[in-house]
Amino acid sequence: MPDRLSSILLSVIIVLVGTTQVTAQYDGYRSIADLPAFKKKFAQESSKVMSITSDFTQDKTLMALTEKISSSGKFWFKRNNRVRIEYLKPFTYLMVINGDKMMVRDSDKENKINVKSNKLFQQVNRIMVDCVQGTILDSKDFTTKVFEGEKLYLLEMTPAAKTLREFFQTIVLTVDKQDYSVSSIEMNEPAGDKTIISFKNKRLNEQVADAVFAL
Amino acid sequence: MRYLLFSALCFFCWSCSSDYRYMTSVGGNSTCAVKLAPAQFKDSWYHASVDVVGRHISGLLLIKNMPDSAYRVVFTNEAGVTFFDFGFANDKSFKVHSIISQLNKKPVIETLRKDFELILGLPFRSGPYETFAMNDEIFFGVRQKKEMAYFITSKDCASLRRLELGSTRKRKVTVKLIGKQYPAPEKIELVHNTFKMQITLTRFEKNDSAQ
Repeated sequence: MPDRLSSILLSVIIVLVGTTQVTAQYDGYRSIADLPAFKKKFAQESSKVMSITSDFTQDKTLMALTEKISSSGKFWFKRNNRVRIEYLKPFTYLMVINGDKMMVRDSDKENKINVKSNKLFQQVNRIMVDCVQGTILDSKDFTTKVFEGEKLYLLEMTPAAKTLREFFQTIVLTVDKQDYSVSSIEMNEPAGDKTIISFKNKRLNEQVADAVFAL
Repeated sequence: MRYLLFSALCFFCWSCSSDYRYMTSVGGNSTCAVKLAPAQFKDSWYHASVDVVGRHISGLLLIKNMPDSAYRVVFTNEAGVTFFDFGFANDKSFKVHSIISQLNKKPVIETLRKDFELILGLPFRSGPYETFAMNDEIFFGVRQKKEMAYFITSKDCASLRRLELGSTRKRKVTVKLIGKQYPAPEKIELVHNTFKMQITLTRFEKNDSAQ
């Protein structure tokens, strides 16, 4: 009898601890009640975003080494499929996606890549564009759970393909409830390292010249 | 025809000649070795640029001293994705903490291991040094399994000129230091002399709030 009691107690503790872990995972967020309605609204509202101009900060944390590196820069998006990410501090690095073409420029060299010729680049390109265009919930690259907070929605995306699982355990997006634009992207790596990109001073639907995305 | 044969012979002899053929053994100068041996490396962040057989890749490289006096070398891309994380221990053991599948090949890991051991100055930590002179330089060599690792100074021991890894005949790897030197080199250029590969590291100051 005492054995049975202790096993019941143990089960209760496991359930309690388990529940605590799940709810503590995203403090201040609860599971969304009507997922189809959210998906529809997310697609609808995101489709109204024709351009984004924003500053960003990026914090990469190497957990095992207790080391953190911060960088910052500027971000541009223009429908369809055009993204420019420019790191300005503490190093310079530019990445431009324009349809199927991609260009990266570091301090030494400029590289033009035809995304179609590389499956991994294709996936990275698609994820980035899907995130900002609001089509990520339809992506076959991820299974997605959606949570709701006071001011933000939170999308926890788990990669389906092996190639992506090698790089990311999850990608967590927070989306502004007001305009459905992405507020932050958190990339969690299998070894425990994480990178958080936070967007600041966002300006939606301003005029953005095509030249910004010239390759 | 005779001229062609002669040229071919000359070329053959030239290609077989040793890069170290004019090196002569000299008495050790332990004061100079202690003064200029690249024995320590401070925690540093570098912008890394790697060119290997026509391909170019860039990213950020962290060199970090660990509490057990081992080093960790971590290479990520600019967006934060980790490509590899290597551990170099004091007892000369080496551990791959993580590596992406595209790089997870024995020859790639071995090449990178030797390159970073040289950059970190690990072969020069314990000696014993064999000392040679060539031209106006002193070569302090430490025997490795099949190679020699050298740190090369000016004859008057005023400065550290470069590092090299070589077989008995061939110079395999050259490391040049530009600007500030050890323990926190400002710019490091590592060139493989037997195939097309170059690693360039440019130090930058980490800024925790890069606004």
